[in-house]
Amino acid sequence: MKLFARQTCALVKLSFIELWRRNDIFALLLLGLALMVPLSMATPFGAGGASRYLDEMALLLVWGFSLFIALGAGQRLFPPEFDSRTIYPLLAKPISRGRLLVGKYIGAVAASWSALAFFYVLFVGSVVLRGGSFAAELPQAIVLHFAFVALAVAISLFGSLLVTASANLSLSAIVLVGMFFFGRNLPEYAEGLNPALAWALKIVYAVAPHAEFFDMRQRLIHGWGAVDYGVFMTVLIYAVWYIFVVILLADVVLNRKRV
Amino acid sequence: MSECPDIVQLEGVTRAFAGIKAVDGLSLKLKAGEVMGFLGTNGAGKTTTIKMMLGLLAPTSGTVKVLGGDPSDPRIRAHIGYMPEVATYYPYLNARELLAFYGGICGLDAKTVRSRTDALLESVGLADAAKRPLKTYSKGMLQRAGIAQALLNDPDLLVLDEPFTGLDPLARIHFRELLRGLKERGKTIFFSSHELGETELLCDHVAIMKKGHCVYQGPVKDIAGDGATNLERLFLKTLGEAK
Repeated sequence: MKLFARQTCALVKLSFIELWRRNDIFALLLLGLALMVPLSMATPFGAGGASRYLDEMALLLVWGFSLFIALGAGQRLFPPEFDSRTIYPLLAKPISRGRLLVGKYIGAVAASWSALAFFYVLFVGSVVLRGGSFAAELPQAIVLHFAFVALAVAISLFGSLLVTASANLSLSAIVLVGMFFFGRNLPEYAEGLNPALAWALKIVYAVAPHAEFFDMRQRLIHGWGAVDYGVFMTVLIYAVWYIFVVILLADVVLNRKRV
Repeated sequence: MSECPDIVQLEGVTRAFAGIKAVDGLSLKLKAGEVMGFLGTNGAGKTTTIKMMLGLLAPTSGTVKVLGGDPSDPRIRAHIGYMPEVATYYPYLNARELLAFYGGICGLDAKTVRSRTDALLESVGLADAAKRPLKTYSKGMLQRAGIAQALLNDPDLLVLDEPFTGLDPLARIHFRELLRGLKERGKTIFFSSHELGETELLCDHVAIMKKGHCVYQGPVKDIAGDGATNLERLFLKTLGEAK
């Protein structure tokens, strides 16, 4: 247990250092700052509706940036190790591939969460500066967003072991963004299709990651209040279960991968 | 007097990739405290053999035993140090952070890592560059960082893949002295190399590979001749290239 804890700590630290020393993360953070600070200053016509529109834009930016960071973090876990040949001395150490995978995953999630926390500080700051406030839905929205990031890292990690970087990032982004915007409507779309296509769409609905479950932006913006805790916990359990399955599949692929 | 135990024991080891045998029926033994040079042309099966010794690849047939056990067991690998041929270590880390990272992976506590890091960086000549990012290191400096990470867990067996690659003459001499020091401390060393002179100066035994087969295996002292060219002659003769 002590060995696992030390190994995990080392991998988490490596992920943090890599994320925070990369220039692209700073470019992203600066971009976030550059977009959100003006949003926090703006009070268009003093109208509540317009203010909510700004919140929506800011939250969409936070979601976009967090997805970008999560997919990048997942993608960078193993392919660079193979490219730079550091996978050999790493696997020659007393660590199994399964532990390495889990440790690296935890590291990437922790690093992505740190960036997401920074974006939320910016967002909450921008709302407060405009004189806005949050109710009980904010903690729920943040927790679900963090769960979504963990899910996105897992999907990107799994894809990185199967296809090239560009293919993985494109496919993962298409699946997650597609489900984010259209996931809830898939059963509706299936109704108008021929049986074969309808079945295909139903399978997609059953298997694809339901990114839309984690989206509480509208509740946050319009102040609709927190969701029922049963529903909230179900979504969290769904995230944990989905991540578990994806990491298990990644473990199978990594163990079969020839080094 | 009891005989030294076999640290490395390969028996009839074959590894095939898509039906092509990269290593074919290899048998090798290396006793505690010995230094073995593993020679052969490119594609002879040296790296594949090393990967099997580290548990990174399973043999298609035959048995691989390292330190009395299966090298795919992490507990066995806790006593092995490995330096790959050329690795571009994490460019965002510095040498001290690199060793702290590998120390954590080996399960060493922070205090041990710190004390070993200081000693190792000094001995490989990277103490002055310890806080520089690895992306600014030359190939030779990366090799030295590589040997430092391989020695971090104070291994009983040191496996080095082409350790002299990329080293300038001075670094080569330092590296040779470092390996000699390890040998004097009773470490068992197995290294693949194209550097016949270095191999002859350092090794007790040599094994020569050709197209997956071990075509020569024996003590260096048995090679008759006149100094540094001995092994070169033997190498050419064994590979059928002698004029």
